[in-house]
Amino acid sequence: MESRVVNKGQISELLDKLAKDYNLFAPVKDETMTLFRRVSGAQDVLLDYNNSDISPKGCFLPQNEKTFSYMYTGDSLEINKPEGAQKTVLFGARPCDIKAVLTFDPVFEGVKFGDEYYSSKRENSIIIGLSCTKVLSTCFCYAMGGGPCDITGSDLLLTEIGDKYYVEVITEKGQALVDAYSQIFAKQDTAQLAKDKDELAKKLSGEFVRKVDLTGVKELMDNNFELPYWSGDDQKKCISCGICTYVCPTCHCFDIFDYTTGDFTGDRIRCWDSCMYPEYTLEAGGHNPRPTRKERIRNRFMHKIKYHLDRYNMVGCVGCGRCVIKCPVNIDITKIINDLKEVAQNA
Amino acid sequence: MMNLAQQLQEQAKKLLEEKKVDLVIGFGQGTELARNTPVFIDSPEGVSALTWGPFCANNLAKYLSDYNNAPGGTAVVVKGCDARSVNRLLDDNQILREKVVVIGVPCPGQLEWQKVSAEIKPGSTLKEVVDNGDSYTVKTDSGDYSFSKKDYLLHRCLVCENPNPVISDITIGKELPVKNYEERFAEVQDLEKLAVNEKSAYWDKQFTRCLRCYACRNVCSVCTCEVCVFDQMMPMWVSKRTNLSENTAFHITRAFHVAGRCVDCGECDRVCPMDIPLRKLNVKIHKDLGDLFNSPTPGTEPGLISPLGGFSPGDPEEFM
Ligand code: SF4
Ligand code: SF4
Ligand code: SF4
Ligand code: SF4
Ligand code: SF4
Repeated sequence: MESRVVNKGQISELLDKLAKDYNLFAPVKDETMTLFRRVSGAQDVLLDYNNSDISPKGCFLPQNEKTFSYMYTGDSLEINKPEGAQKTVLFGARPCDIKAVLTFDPVFEGVKFGDEYYSSKRENSIIIGLSCTKVLSTCFCYAMGGGPCDITGSDLLLTEIGDKYYVEVITEKGQALVDAYSQIFAKQDTAQLAKDKDELAKKLSGEFVRKVDLTGVKELMDNNFELPYWSGDDQKKCISCGICTYVCPTCHCFDIFDYTTGDFTGDRIRCWDSCMYPEYTLEAGGHNPRPTRKERIRNRFMHKIKYHLDRYNMVGCVGCGRCVIKCPVNIDITKIINDLKEVAQNA
Repeated sequence: MMNLAQQLQEQAKKLLEEKKVDLVIGFGQGTELARNTPVFIDSPEGVSALTWGPFCANNLAKYLSDYNNAPGGTAVVVKGCDARSVNRLLDDNQILREKVVVIGVPCPGQLEWQKVSAEIKPGSTLKEVVDNGDSYTVKTDSGDYSFSKKDYLLHRCLVCENPNPVISDITIGKELPVKNYEERFAEVQDLEKLAVNEKSAYWDKQFTRCLRCYACRNVCSVCTCEVCVFDQMMPMWVSKRTNLSENTAFHITRAFHVAGRCVDCGECDRVCPMDIPLRKLNVKIHKDLGDLFNSPTPGTEPGLISPLGGFSPGDPEEFM
């Protein structure tokens, strides 16, 4: 499809307009943190950031979500569902986080079990991506099939070049948006900008310091559920804190419970949960199929590098590096992958 | 002369060879230059993984209770603040003195790894770290970098009460001068000056961000309950739903559960992925405990009875 240009000077105007016409989610600074929040205009938005502390996954899978409210009065039960999602724009998300949304799609939009809460948000959203301008020492998206300037999953992708944003229109949704705001998304000759973007992508691809290679790792996992590797230091040092799962853009476990005031009135809530918690798999009778940190760590990492591939033919990690940064005891998925590769080679 | 890491390795080796312990918990090189990570060493051959330096922020005493039922003993490398945790775990009957060997290392302060990392060329390899008193020089294959302690130490280290471990069976390295930091309560005093609604606004802003991942609780060496109130479903004291009200209930409850036992190791504050200044909450309680009961920081001495955990028939409080 086509490409357009936005002058940096007009970004504020664009954000203000989008905030008026849509629910606008964008990166904001909250003290030391960079987070995605709903914003009311350009003034709160921060586009000069590297890898937000928390991914924008909450846009599609909020940490708390009311699925319905209920009221039982003795002879009648009333159930009220929230209305479908409002028109939303997710602005300024990085390519890895957008790729992560694609890993959610088959989970929540499966043929057998569609999730209307998710689908409604997804259908009503437009994703405007923003190419990275810097590679952190913890980034490894390249090894997971992505890249700092990757268009996958975006409806529009903005790339910062000098005092302009080069805009690639990727989907029809994106096309409709640029047409609607055509006074901001200018039609210009973009040949030079396209070249500049390629240059940037090339330059950034040389900046990754983590060498990660998945070849052979899934095959090893396929045939070896009980690897002695999982009894090593990682399961000893993990504190089951759940940080890695909450900050991960592809982790999507949730719990469902009622929030009541004690009578028969309340809300049924879905909220984030973590497979790293012992309670996550604790059954009513007291049995726990993943009783120790060994089983839980194995599950999290096998989900990323095997189960998601098995089920949906997509690797379940996009290489954003958040879990690497935030894990308080330095459990590092890139080390795990490399260690497993070594195990596979020596097998 | 051997450097501290070599001395550590030698002592660990001896402990394992002489079968005084089955396991040594210490620090090893992490996956980022400026990061160390807990290592668990169970054979004399493994000790070369042990290291020491200003990237050893984790409080390893937390792991001791995992090995309570192990047949043999466990040795653990502790800094000054971590040693307070060991005392506290002993006083809470969470670990057995005879099964633990404490390897204490006087600690000149730990650096914030992310701040340091941001300045060093990605992909560099660490050669050595030199302590210049007011700063550290981090020598790498991409050059030398200097980090002033004032700007790069963890906040807890800037007001460290016990750089020298308060309990130690084997001490590695020289004792360091102990300073009395006037400014230990400075941040809390600033908060105290605020009007009630301003204080409330300050904490609301912090607690709103909380993800309720419970890392602060899980890392805490005085949070030792088998089933934590926050994990109970029946009754559900605090809902899993995150919002300001539930989050506040969580934080206030936890602050009170650790009051009088919190050793100010600062780990909760360090691990929080949302940068919630949890130390301020705990330090306020420390300040009050000092002001009201003349009570030192918990864990500073063994057998210290917490003002909130002890009972005396002569207590002037009528309620008692
Ligand atoms: S597993 Fe870690 S690196 Fe991979 S997507 Fe999740 S947070 Fe990012
Ligand atoms: S963040 Fe690290 S310590 Fe916490 S649950 Fe994940 S792997 Fe374990
Ligand atoms: S608080 Fe003191 S003992 Fe603890 S890490 Fe900092 S300087 Fe070291
Ligand atoms: S570690 Fe931080 S985000 Fe997690 S529960 Fe504690 S305060 Fe909240
Ligand atoms: S509450 Fe925080 S500072 Fe106090 S002992 Fe626990 S982790 Fe350490």
